Amino acid sequence: MSKKKKFRPHQQRQAYLFILPSMIILSVFVFIPLGASLVISLLNMNIFMKDISFAGIHNFVKLFSDHRVANATFNSFYFTLFEVPLQVGLALLLTMYVAKNNKYTKLLRSTYYLPFVCSMTAMGIVWSMMLDPNMGLVPYWLSKIGIDSISFLKDPNLAMPTVIAVTAWKGFGYTLTLLTAAVLNISSSLYEAADMDGAGQWKKFIHITIPGIFPTISFCIVTTTISSLQVFDQTYVMTQGGPLNRTETVVQYIYDRGFQTAPYDLGYASAISVYLFVIIAIVTFVLKRFVLNKGEEAND
Amino acid sequence: MRMKKWWSLLIAAVLVGSSLAGCGSKQEEAPADANAPAQSESPAQEPAGTDAPEAGGETGEAVTLNFWNVFTGSDGDILREIVDKYNETNTDNITINMDIMPNDTLQQKLPASIATNTAPDFVLFGVENIAPYVSNDSLEDISDFWDTAGVDKSNFLENVVDLSYVDGKLYGTPMQYNVQYLYWNKDLFQAAGLDPDTPPATMEELADFAVKLTDSSKKQYGLALPTSVTYMQFLWANGGDADDTETNTNLLNSEENLKTLEWLQDLAVNKKVTPENITGPDADTMLQAGQVAMYMSGPWQINGLNEAGIKFGIAPCVAGSAGSFSPAGGCSFVIPKGTDETKKAAAYKFMKYWLTDEVLKEWSQRNGFPVWSKTLMEDPEIQNDEVLSSISKATEIGRSYNLGYSLASQIDNDVMIPLFEKVITGASKPKDALDEASKAMDAVLGSN
Repeated sequence: MSKKKKFRPHQQRQAYLFILPSMIILSVFVFIPLGASLVISLLNMNIFMKDISFAGIHNFVKLFSDHRVANATFNSFYFTLFEVPLQVGLALLLTMYVAKNNKYTKLLRSTYYLPFVCSMTAMGIVWSMMLDPNMGLVPYWLSKIGIDSISFLKDPNLAMPTVIAVTAWKGFGYTLTLLTAAVLNISSSLYEAADMDGAGQWKKFIHITIPGIFPTISFCIVTTTISSLQVFDQTYVMTQGGPLNRTETVVQYIYDRGFQTAPYDLGYASAISVYLFVIIAIVTFVLKRFVLNKGEEAND
Repeated sequence: MRMKKWWSLLIAAVLVGSSLAGCGSKQEEAPADANAPAQSESPAQEPAGTDAPEAGGETGEAVTLNFWNVFTGSDGDILREIVDKYNETNTDNITINMDIMPNDTLQQKLPASIATNTAPDFVLFGVENIAPYVSNDSLEDISDFWDTAGVDKSNFLENVVDLSYVDGKLYGTPMQYNVQYLYWNKDLFQAAGLDPDTPPATMEELADFAVKLTDSSKKQYGLALPTSVTYMQFLWANGGDADDTETNTNLLNSEENLKTLEWLQDLAVNKKVTPENITGPDADTMLQAGQVAMYMSGPWQINGLNEAGIKFGIAPCVAGSAGSFSPAGGCSFVIPKGTDETKKAAAYKFMKYWLTDEVLKEWSQRNGFPVWSKTLMEDPEIQNDEVLSSISKATEIGRSYNLGYSLASQIDNDVMIPLFEKVITGASKPKDALDEASKAMDAVLGSN
């Protein structure tokens, strides 16, 4: 007993040493910027960092009367509400077919995974070229079968759905991989028993597969939601927030205020970042309460 | 047990060490940036060998200048040739390290680098950027340039030189001057039954021609109207304007502007003469592909059109009831605040080199940019240059728009571009779009 007590502090010290590298990296890229943006959001400060003064909550007051913040918040939620179900749902459906280990399904799974390993920027450029109404491949094919002049990323009503579709296409392979791994972990005796009882594919999927992988599903929902609320690269590359700000998400607007439009108001941009941080914290909390916990219950 | 512990300690130490080393080298890099090029330049200075870095610091002879600019197009290659030639031929032992980046990137990096004293020694960017930088005290006042460098200011057109002055002080030396032209595709004119040598001169003609030149079955459009830019030429043509920079007054809500915007919406939405919702680069590509018959843009189109083999003409922007005007712009060399005297003197030498007729002539001839050096205008080769003589008339109608005004880019991004976008896409009626823009303009002007 006493030996154990003596040993522990040492062990802990070693543990701290091991996490030190990642703590340094996390501090430099996460904790310090987080603290800094909290402080900057209370200042009048632009990118030139001259004449910095205390602004109090002025930036936050301004934020709530700025219709572009409201518009950007709407767009971020619009994106999230459709992208997450699409990505997770698509992955879930395909899991039914590829959650076996043979050559064919392995090939399919790696094919689905391929877009995920490519950079969003590169994929965004490729898709915006393929969908371009004047020189793109997809509108050309559509015109061959009699569907004319769909300008996916240029049409104010179609731009966001298009961005959502491209994002889901790029991301579902990752979700699929996680779900498939979970499905393969389900004991085969359950399926055998169901077969004996004469259950069909669909029934087995609903009553065995889904409950079996529910913790993984809820994990996917939470992580995808968080990353969806931070959506930036795809809109930046494919639409620049346009047309008519219909794809301007919160992060895109933060970037615009801080780095694209003079006077490069870092104080205001930071205030919007803090606002987004709070939104994501609330959403995560709610999801954790209602989705993650349920997942754990289901697992018990 | 002991062995294991030692091993784990060792691994931890290595991990920590390497991560610290990673941070350390990054930190070192930043402040040394100004001097670092001496090392990174070594391939170019191969003959000088190992003593090159020392020469920079101790003898004070060799000067390496870091130079950032935004010339990402084909003109960037010509700029690089000129700079390379200067590096080889100058007798002052000056080496210029050129770094080309998109304007977006430059605008993100430059203010931060000036604030942390890691800025390049001189920069080349659009004159519209000068005022915001000056109002944040981020550029060197170079009013002594003409005397110190011994360059005759009176040899250059006043309106061009003026673009680099803010409140009577010089912050940049002019590098090029440009206005918007009307480009037209002669082959498409002919095919549509129009005279290929007569461009439209008025707004009515422009609309009329644009309709005739539009053939949606062939995906051919009469006039490209990108939604990511402003159309001051149209507002001015009918006697309207956006704002008065002297008095901070909002001039948007006028009958003239409404009339112009209604005309523009009719053209874009009802007559469908423009491809829907395109960006400037989209329009460039379509003009080069022969999908667009007319397009208003700057001199930088000329090289691309020649390379694409398009038969084109260059005309002044069309006239309305108040005449014809074209927004003027240009680029200037500027020196970020905090550049030391030696480097500043070396940058002056390069600026002086640029302002020689020899370099200006090469730049104008190879890029199709207007000539603004009076002695160069007398040059017979320039006078006989087909492109340059065709643009000289189009250049005369240049008018400055919010230049030297620190709110210029905010007005463009928050007021004017959204206004034109709503009108051209038909998202709002001209009256509503104008009211909304006018409110946005008040907000921007009020923040001054």
